[in-house]
Amino acid sequence: MSCPGKLFYNWSDKDFDESLKFIDTEQLGNDPYDVTIIGAGVVGCALAYKLSLHKLRVLLLDKNYDVGEATSKGNSAIIHTGFDAAVGTLESELVTKASRGWPELAKKLKIPYEECGALLIAINDEQNSHLDNVYEKALKNGVTDVQLLSAEQALELEPQITKNVLRGILIPRESIADPFSTSIAFAEVALTNGVNILLGTEIIGVENANDKIKTLVTGCGKRIDTEIIINVAGLGSRKLADLYEGESFDINPRRGQFLIFDKYSRSAINRILLPIPTANTKGVLVIPTIFGNLIAGPTAEDFTINDNAVADTTVEQLQALLNGASKLYPGLYEQPVISTFSGVRCNCSQGSYWIRCNDGHQGIITVSGIRSTGFTSSPALAEYLISELHEKLGLNLEANPEAIDSRSESSWPGWWKRPYSNNELVKEFPEYGRVVCYCEQISHGEIIQQLDSPLKPRTLDALKRRTRAQMGRCQGFDCMVNVAEIVSNHCNIPLNKITKRGPGSEIISTNTLQY
Amino acid sequence: MNSTKHFNILIIGAGPAGIGAAVALSKRGIKSIAIIERSDKVGGIPSFYKKKKGGVRTFIRWSRGGIPVFGEDYAQWLEKQLLKTKVQIELQTQVLNIDAKKKILTLVSPKEGEVNYSADAIVMACGSREETLAERGWLGGSRPVRVFFTKQLLCLLDGNHLLPMNNPLIIGSDLIGYAAAAKLKAAGASNAVIVDNRSGPKCGFFERLYFRLWSNPKYQGLSIKSIEITGNKTASGVKLNGKNIPCDGIVICGELIPNSELALNGNIKVELHSRKPVVAEDYQLSEPGWFAAGNMLGGFHGAEWCYFNGRRVARGVVNYLSQT
Ligand SMILES: Cc1cc2nc3c(=O)[nH]c(=O)nc-3n(C[C@H](O)[C@H](O)[C@H](O)COP(=O)(O)OP(=O)(O)OC[C@H]3O[C@@H](n4cnc5c(N)ncnc54)[C@H](O)[C@@H]3O)c2cc1C
Ligand SMILES: Cc1cc2nc3c(=O)[nH]c(=O)nc-3n(C[C@H](O)[C@H](O)[C@H](O)COP(=O)(O)OP(=O)(O)OC[C@H]3O[C@@H](n4cnc5c(N)ncnc54)[C@H](O)[C@@H]3O)c2cc1C
Repeated sequence: MSCPGKLFYNWSDKDFDESLKFIDTEQLGNDPYDVTIIGAGVVGCALAYKLSLHKLRVLLLDKNYDVGEATSKGNSAIIHTGFDAAVGTLESELVTKASRGWPELAKKLKIPYEECGALLIAINDEQNSHLDNVYEKALKNGVTDVQLLSAEQALELEPQITKNVLRGILIPRESIADPFSTSIAFAEVALTNGVNILLGTEIIGVENANDKIKTLVTGCGKRIDTEIIINVAGLGSRKLADLYEGESFDINPRRGQFLIFDKYSRSAINRILLPIPTANTKGVLVIPTIFGNLIAGPTAEDFTINDNAVADTTVEQLQALLNGASKLYPGLYEQPVISTFSGVRCNCSQGSYWIRCNDGHQGIITVSGIRSTGFTSSPALAEYLISELHEKLGLNLEANPEAIDSRSESSWPGWWKRPYSNNELVKEFPEYGRVVCYCEQISHGEIIQQLDSPLKPRTLDALKRRTRAQMGRCQGFDCMVNVAEIVSNHCNIPLNKITKRGPGSEIISTNTLQY
Repeated sequence: MNSTKHFNILIIGAGPAGIGAAVALSKRGIKSIAIIERSDKVGGIPSFYKKKKGGVRTFIRWSRGGIPVFGEDYAQWLEKQLLKTKVQIELQTQVLNIDAKKKILTLVSPKEGEVNYSADAIVMACGSREETLAERGWLGGSRPVRVFFTKQLLCLLDGNHLLPMNNPLIIGSDLIGYAAAAKLKAAGASNAVIVDNRSGPKCGFFERLYFRLWSNPKYQGLSIKSIEITGNKTASGVKLNGKNIPCDGIVICGELIPNSELALNGNIKVELHSRKPVVAEDYQLSEPGWFAAGNMLGGFHGAEWCYFNGRRVARGVVNYLSQT
């Protein structure tokens, strides 16, 4: 096995684990990095994973206190086949390629994944007239297993959909997966293979961009040397590109809001329900999630880049969303909504998959506009970027024979494997039988296991994404404080310093008193 | 999985209602009764309202002439009643799912792992929780930290002696909201602003008068259609009708919704939106041998009402057993 990488958090609180604190750049070693990846979204993490299979010094960093905490956590979680992608584009090529690799990837990385299929339905004459085009496009995109269905056939597959259906298309390989585990799995393997990971660290300056060795300046005033910079900072890619005089481009953030329905609803619908896509969006879908809920969404609302409200949810839009999604599955009105969320697409005016090699200076790549398919395409996009690194930036690629490309069996999330059902395990570790999150039925043991996992999650939100504690119908009513207490006890952090998303988001206001 | 253990009666939940049922059933001479509770103590919601000097007594004992007591005191009284019986108490044991037809519960505990218990009759006394932001339907905005449910506030304030905010804003205006405002003030925070989408508070006049002993919250309600929570990392206020009301923490109070998911997933009839189980005579559920008691029935009931309700339900259970 290779020497594992180091993990640091820019978390200066005196009660935070000393061994995880980023205090000094010397902790990262003295030599400059071969490659530094700015942005640990699913794309950055996939790239770190693929690069870690080579003999390279790689650093992955993000301003947030967990990987995958921006757009990569707020999406529809569909593994697209690419049937409706714009034909002949890089996006189409990467999505179709990645889609075929996903079943294997999910097994290797222990990412919950289900090939549930999708049903595209036309409910009025206008939509019906577009259906054949969609079908033709799918064939052109190489998705040849799609099937045209009559109304009767569609209703036979999904009896709960609207009786107004005129015709449909079945897309058998359209799938769903766990978006949270994906970024985490990529990053964990990368770390195991020697990639260093730095969280809570924003890049606010680039010095000596024209030199072979460039210097990144962090928000906390540290300097990190690297030969190659890869900007996969999603919505932050625009501001970052200005720091190294990259070619100009525009991002128009496009918000997507979702409704999450309780698990009772999941048995009603088996497949993803899709409307006929328009030029602008894929429309409002009804999607089974791998966690056992249904979600409806997303909306498509345009914002300007500096608008702080971009990640909010709004009552009006969500009502409109419910009305829209009910056109596909009228029974949605009956179903209880337990929560809502939103995600923001990195919508680039210059086009999707806007990638520039040697941007501004030799040795810098800008990746932007990974708008609506990055979750699916990330493994293929990472491979594409590595070939560009080799061909256009002259990066020397030598396989690392000691690298692994998978996670161990014990890495499956607890909610997927249900450790409490394993009586031998509970006998040995009774904590797996102590349920903490009642709704999602998550045990104390699973929370501890995640706290000790390679990326050492330390925030409530990071734990939520790994364990699903607080993600159920009561939204933490019963378990939030219990979970916080477990983190506090296990990591020796006083309860009042436990945070939702890192420093500044403590659950207790710092200027209140013990009483 | 181990083989199934059989009991005459199983009670899910050791809150006031479950304990009421257990005490009454045992008084009526039923031998093998087990009460199953997922937390590490009996008493249900009242046990989270700790006794504190200068603290707020929020549980009213009508049977003792309407005196208000601390939840903890009431929970201790309940525990004493329960311990006088021979009812088997299973703590830290969560019922995961049920087989309504066979009357089997699948449960899990650190002691035994996953096991099955069966019974001749089952009482569900699972209590209730507060509606989430999404369930209320009129709350949008950002997702900062320090937006709590009342139970979370109790665990911090009473369970850990931590006051999480100085300038509270409370969403929801029933008794639980006014009680929360009083508790926060008693702990050193300022008077809360209470917000609800109704012209006047839901909490009754006399209860509000009672909580005036501790705090004088300001109520805002008229013509609110929706509100937005503001704050990037931590809650900083709510925007309503274009106006910002600042705060440094929010408590989402009241609007109880029954914990009926076990029943629902077991195909016992439950109204989807209200999540109220459908009850017939004697508090029987749609499957024979299944009963519900306490706040699981829906609506807001005080703890003592739930205790007496549990006792009433026990009568129905005995009737049922005598007929089968
Ligand atoms: C509503 C919606 C639905 C979607 N549905 C799907 C779907 O079903 N299937 C699918 O395949 N895709 C879907 N997508 C698209 C997918 O979510 C994105 O393409 C993908 O998450 C993009 O990942 P990323 O790594 O490029 O960006 P991000 O996840 O945004 O990561 C960028 C990271 O860079 C960090 N960063 C930014 N600036 C800096 C800086 N200066 N210093 C340090 N760090 C910085 C950020 O903190 C962030 O973590 C959807 C997207 C949305 C919004
Ligand atoms: C946040 C909150 C605050 C309240 N404040 C007040 C107040 O100040 N004054 C007042 O008079 N009333 C208050 N009430 C009302 C209170 O709920 C009742 O007074 C009373 O506690 C209800 O009794 P119960 O037995 O029906 O339910 P609970 O007291 O809720 O007890 C239910 C028990 O069942 C257990 N349980 C549930 N499901 C399972 C399962 N699957 N497996 C195992 N165990 C399970 C739970 O852990 C719990 O202990 C409040 C209610 C809530 C939710």
